[in-house]
Amino acid sequence: MTRPRVLVTTPDFPPSTGGIQRLIAQLVSHATGWETLVMTLDHPDSGHTSAPVPTLRVANTSAFRQASIARLNVATVRQGLAWRPDAIVSGHIVTSPGALMLGGLLRLPTVQYLYAKEIAVRPRLARFSMERSTATVVLSKHSAAVALRAGAHEERLHVIPPGVDVAERSPRLGGRAEIPTVLTVARLADRYKGFDVMLRALPLVCAQLPAARWVVIGDGPLRGELERTARAWGLNDSVVFCGHVSDEQLDGWFASSHVFAMPSRLPADGGGEGYGLVYLEAAARGLPCVAGNAGAVAEAVIHGETGLLVNPTDHVEMAGALVALLDDADRATALGAAGRERALVLSWDRMAAATEALVADLIASRT
Amino acid sequence: MNAMMVHRGPDDEGCFVDACGVALGARRLSIIDVEGGHQPIGNEDGTIWAVLNGEIYNHPALRRELLLRGHELRSRTDTEVLVHLYEDYGDALVHALEGMYCFAIWDARRGRLLLARDRFGEKPLFYRASGGRLTFASELTALQSGLDAADAVDPVSLTAFLALGYVPGAASMVSDVSQLPAASVLTWRLQDPVARVARYWRLPDLRPSATDSLEAMTAELEVRFADAVRSRLIADVPVGVLLSGGLHSTLVAAYAARASNHPVRTFTIGYDHGDVNETDDARHVAKLLGTEHREMVLSSVNVADLVPALLGRLDQPVADPALVALHAVCGLARDHVTVAVGGEGADELFAGYPRYRWLAVSSQIARAAPASLLQAGAGALNAAALHDRLGRLAEVLSPASAVERHISWVTDGRAKTTSDIWGRALRDLSEPFDPVVDAGQVIARSGVIGTLRAFMTLDQERWLPDDVLAKADRSSMLASLEMRTPFLDRSLAEFAASVPISMLAGPRDKHLLRTLFERELPELGGARRKTAFRVPLAEWMRGPLRPAMEAQVARGSAFAEEWLDRSAVNALVDQHVRGRADHARLLWSVLAFGCWLDTQRGTSTL
Repeated sequence: MTRPRVLVTTPDFPPSTGGIQRLIAQLVSHATGWETLVMTLDHPDSGHTSAPVPTLRVANTSAFRQASIARLNVATVRQGLAWRPDAIVSGHIVTSPGALMLGGLLRLPTVQYLYAKEIAVRPRLARFSMERSTATVVLSKHSAAVALRAGAHEERLHVIPPGVDVAERSPRLGGRAEIPTVLTVARLADRYKGFDVMLRALPLVCAQLPAARWVVIGDGPLRGELERTARAWGLNDSVVFCGHVSDEQLDGWFASSHVFAMPSRLPADGGGEGYGLVYLEAAARGLPCVAGNAGAVAEAVIHGETGLLVNPTDHVEMAGALVALLDDADRATALGAAGRERALVLSWDRMAAATEALVADLIASRT
Repeated sequence: MNAMMVHRGPDDEGCFVDACGVALGARRLSIIDVEGGHQPIGNEDGTIWAVLNGEIYNHPALRRELLLRGHELRSRTDTEVLVHLYEDYGDALVHALEGMYCFAIWDARRGRLLLARDRFGEKPLFYRASGGRLTFASELTALQSGLDAADAVDPVSLTAFLALGYVPGAASMVSDVSQLPAASVLTWRLQDPVARVARYWRLPDLRPSATDSLEAMTAELEVRFADAVRSRLIADVPVGVLLSGGLHSTLVAAYAARASNHPVRTFTIGYDHGDVNETDDARHVAKLLGTEHREMVLSSVNVADLVPALLGRLDQPVADPALVALHAVCGLARDHVTVAVGGEGADELFAGYPRYRWLAVSSQIARAAPASLLQAGAGALNAAALHDRLGRLAEVLSPASAVERHISWVTDGRAKTTSDIWGRALRDLSEPFDPVVDAGQVIARSGVIGTLRAFMTLDQERWLPDDVLAKADRSSMLASLEMRTPFLDRSLAEFAASVPISMLAGPRDKHLLRTLFERELPELGGARRKTAFRVPLAEWMRGPLRPAMEAQVARGSAFAEEWLDRSAVNALVDQHVRGRADHARLLWSVLAFGCWLDTQRGTSTL
């Protein structure tokens, strides 16, 4: 068989940033067995960056995201009819209508990516896309359980964990900062990531380690609230909100921090972390993680081995875990090293190969 | 001093005296570890001692954390947890606590005392620092019994009390005695005997924008509220719910019923006088929830005896008439349970008061309409103001500042007129309390932006601790009942601050709470009337309380010492009794202060 032609449709793709963006980009870069075409939304910076595979972009008016998504779905169908792929991969449930329509017209297998939180936000669309797609891919056992509760078919549900960038981002050992530093990397958009619990824990951490600081990398709609809370509670000297940083700067923070922390909890309306890729990225750089013992995160961080899992709503327990690692360099280093070992096994090549095998099976069973 | 607070803790008492002359004392109402909870309690080597009034709800989790770190604990009490948290965190231990508390920790190694009060001011703490000496107590009366001479009325506090109906902020009704503000710590050292007060927490002004859906917010509220109720049911003794039948107490009762394995006990109160009766609502709710429900009727005969006696027993006057009903229902509950849960704090955190919406609307009108037109409109309404509500509407429309309108609303307009009844002892004050100035300062200090949030902050800083919670604490503790308030859970309160105003207060008042109610308890029906153990005050002042009021004016210490003007108050009583005007709330303040002062002086007009 010649290289299968795979059309990947996704609203999230670099240069826009986020977990889904990274995941899809790594998939198409490492799935070298495919001839890939990516359909996605335009981005102000897309002219300055080169995509790893041929990419077509649809006009994106950020004020009318739904209209942009609709345009993307229409373009996917139109482009697909011309390009004639062998299979379709949809990176988000919002692109499932276009993927499924194209799949129906050309009688092609469709693979739908499902994370966790969109099931809560758009339960009907999630159910629709899971029912109609040939296969649904989730990143963790936790997401699989959530998907099954939301109506997924077990025989069409596949767990393929993402990979972690290891080789090009090896830790600079011995480069840790003088100041006890706790690092969080996240888009500041979802309350379930537990930024509030971090702010509550901080005075307790500083009571024992007065110089300690919390470095927050990422931006989003919650940033204003978090900064105002930090100010109201007199924590200005202990928190650094960095906003977006370059990859080099991010590497610098990963290298100089002592602990990665993000107490994600299960949000009230379901969902939450679909995988917790960022914990593995931190582990790959030799950082021990402190995380919530809830949902998929408990698959990404092994308590007592690669980090500490705490009750994500208990800021006192969180503070205790942070101090335990900040105050015991040997233990932190040991947990970080074990986390790196584990992350090394989870490569993008492995993830891409598993996805390629799945798509090949689906194509074969169709013909 | 301990002997003055037997009602707060009838089960046990204890004292600790340090070699250097430092003493801690406590009365105990046994709730957790009934056998092993004697106070004061010390650490392993007896260098740190603590007394606690109230309850630390997260003490089981804190205990696990402490044991993990190698501490040895001898009891199951929350007080002992404080001692060991202090060893690890020092003064920052307050950041680990969830609960209603005031406590004292004596650190003998450093010769240093730490006093702290909970985030919203649920538990009271009075202190006096003078001449290198610090005295403190949970109640003013107990503190006074330990002082040499401290029975002078603070005249500024009295003017504040007459305007607002409570003593606001750090002052007290007694000269030289202060109240530790909510969410504050006080430190004092033997070497440097000065009281230093610092605030350790405030509800942040988040200015959230609507990024989350109403559904997501309701779901989050549900989880946090359920947690808050569950944590407040932990006790080794029976727990009940004070059920008025209104939205808040019904939510509390419903979630308490969900969280417990056996039927919840609910308590309510009604009257044989006036048009306020909550028993039907409460009974209906109780039936649907399947609670073990008990109710009592407060008859006008009881009121005549009970009210002056109750007002005289308060350590510091609170002129909130709901105190009477709350105390009565606490008394009923105490016959069956030791702890009761109530709906206090919901209005302040979830924008429950209709005035928030009215005042926000009025600010918009004030910006849009010319002052002359508003003046004319307000004047016309005032002329037609036979009904209370119309008068309030007139106030709302008057072209005054937003803060003036707010103060006018919450005081029924009496803030401007109380100086009419000031006696000679108050008239010479150079700087009497000005509620508008005070409110402006509170709002400015908080840095809050937005009219509605500003008024909510003002209520959270003043009305909530100094009226609502003072009333709840005294009315329950005078019945030796512990009262707990799930709405004042820290995590729930901080969540409330993250809800956009449009979701909290619009399209109807307490929109988010009502949405939760309708989603979770559809069987109880939609609209709940606002009921919070109200009393038929105007009728009481014309009927059963008239003799007490007249006796007070004729013979009370407040008039003998010329704090109040006899003929001015007489005129108000006369107008009220004849039905020419409704002065019930101001007269109630007069009665409350009068009965309190008579107790102070050891006299009685009864």
